[in-house]
Amino acid sequence: MAYNVIVLIKQIPDIDQMKTNPGTGEPLIQNVPLRMENLSKNAVEAAVRIKEKNGGKVTVLCFGTEKSTSVMKEAYAMGADEGYLITGYAGNYPSVTANALASKIKEIPHDLVILGNQSADSYTGLLPGSLSAILGEPLLGNAIDIKLQEKQVSVVSALEDNNLEIATEMPAVVSVAQEINQPRLPPVLQIMAAGRKPINQVAASNLQVPEVKTISNRAPKSDRKRIVYEDPAKGIEEVSNVIREAIR
Amino acid sequence: MKIIAFSDNKAILSQIISRFRDEAEVHAITPDPDFILKYGASKTFGLKGDVLSGPVSKAIEKMYQSGGYDLIAIGSTVTGREVAGLLSAMLSTQAVSEVNSLSFNGGKATTSRFFYGGKSLLTEESVAKIAVVAPGLAEATESSKKSDITELQLEPSSVKIVSRTDKKGGSVDIEKAQVIVSVGRGLGKKENLEKVEPFAKAVHGEIAGSRPVCLDYGWLSEDRQVGLSGKKVQPKLYIALGISGQIQHIAGMRNSKVVIAVNKDKSAPIFEEADYGIVGDLFDVIGKIKDKLAQ
Repeated sequence: MAYNVIVLIKQIPDIDQMKTNPGTGEPLIQNVPLRMENLSKNAVEAAVRIKEKNGGKVTVLCFGTEKSTSVMKEAYAMGADEGYLITGYAGNYPSVTANALASKIKEIPHDLVILGNQSADSYTGLLPGSLSAILGEPLLGNAIDIKLQEKQVSVVSALEDNNLEIATEMPAVVSVAQEINQPRLPPVLQIMAAGRKPINQVAASNLQVPEVKTISNRAPKSDRKRIVYEDPAKGIEEVSNVIREAIR
Repeated sequence: MKIIAFSDNKAILSQIISRFRDEAEVHAITPDPDFILKYGASKTFGLKGDVLSGPVSKAIEKMYQSGGYDLIAIGSTVTGREVAGLLSAMLSTQAVSEVNSLSFNGGKATTSRFFYGGKSLLTEESVAKIAVVAPGLAEATESSKKSDITELQLEPSSVKIVSRTDKKGGSVDIEKAQVIVSVGRGLGKKENLEKVEPFAKAVHGEIAGSRPVCLDYGWLSEDRQVGLSGKKVQPKLYIALGISGQIQHIAGMRNSKVVIAVNKDKSAPIFEEADYGIVGDLFDVIGKIKDKLAQ
């Protein structure tokens, strides 16, 4: 049978290119290039593979800003059919994101909601659970494999000590881990076609921003000794003594 | 103060209990009550049934609503983060994630967590009632405080467990290791692990690795991965071999007591995060250190 899949994607700053202010230690976030979050790519790939195998439709939702059209186009190029860019909040609180996305998800008929399990910038991992609770749909988390049979979805969930195969009835929320697939690099023709495809922009509803005060946001202090021997012969004696002391 | 503490990871739960038992009444929820008992929670609830995030969140919701709790502290594991996300929506209350420090001041919580993939440490004040706690919040210490075990039966879930497969190498627990010898891309190839193993043995260390080594190349099993997306370790001695020191890696080993780094690139960022560094060929250096230690 064909499945309607909603996939959630996130745009984040390219952290590897981010610098911190040498004086204050604060992250310099302006002018850092933006990119699609790593696991969002895996989520799009998983959704598109389901469509390719079974038929159906892939709808992408991105809770972002006006700048997020680029990641939406990337998702189109990978094979997504339709996309909604939800804007109106530039902050970063999972509860806000969960409510804004859930409001839109409820309007779209679907069998599955697929998203990355944790994002590479904040690593909260709260969104899958919160969406599951708000939507009233069961969560199959940290999936490294998804199988569909009629109205049943089963995944292999990668836990710390074991892999758990779990199953439930759709509709359901599935969060994915990196190991689930290798996201495709779309061919140029598809990238060009994606650029012409319309993106639906909608204003976020149901925004309840929590009261959180930032006390500080700085590069972590490191008080390491930083004794570096450029001549190994000199370092070996000292380092051996340190090791001997530490493992006593 | 009254706190609910839950984790399916014994080590993190024992750290949470140790951190709060003196200033709060801690009600611990665990699948391993016999182990947790010795850490001095005021009450210990032993979970019966499938420890899946759905049923666990419902059990915690029920306990929380019975009243008087100031905080739900949840260990950061795959299941724990799901439980926290579920509870945050179920209780319409805020959750703060991956905290590595947590204190209270007049109903407000001050928390610290890494942001931007570990590039910054974000300290916030909020009214969050749910905290997802990263490993290493406090040292786990046993207590003479006694409590009984109360059984807590979980409700059946709409999610069914089909099968469970132990991960290969699942017996290593690098989070508990006192000495870690960690390898990075500088290892070159999997076969070179054989050259590192005798050194690890000589320093009584467990072998661990960076994300590329464990995940992308598969030279080591993923349960040996140190980093933001892997294990957060806190050994007495951390020896980084051929690891460049990406911020995501540093976030996993920052709590190590003494850090030694060996890398052939003298500008590798790992030297900024090391107490002692040697610029050179890692195989040559560890061979010589091993000889020295044998003397």
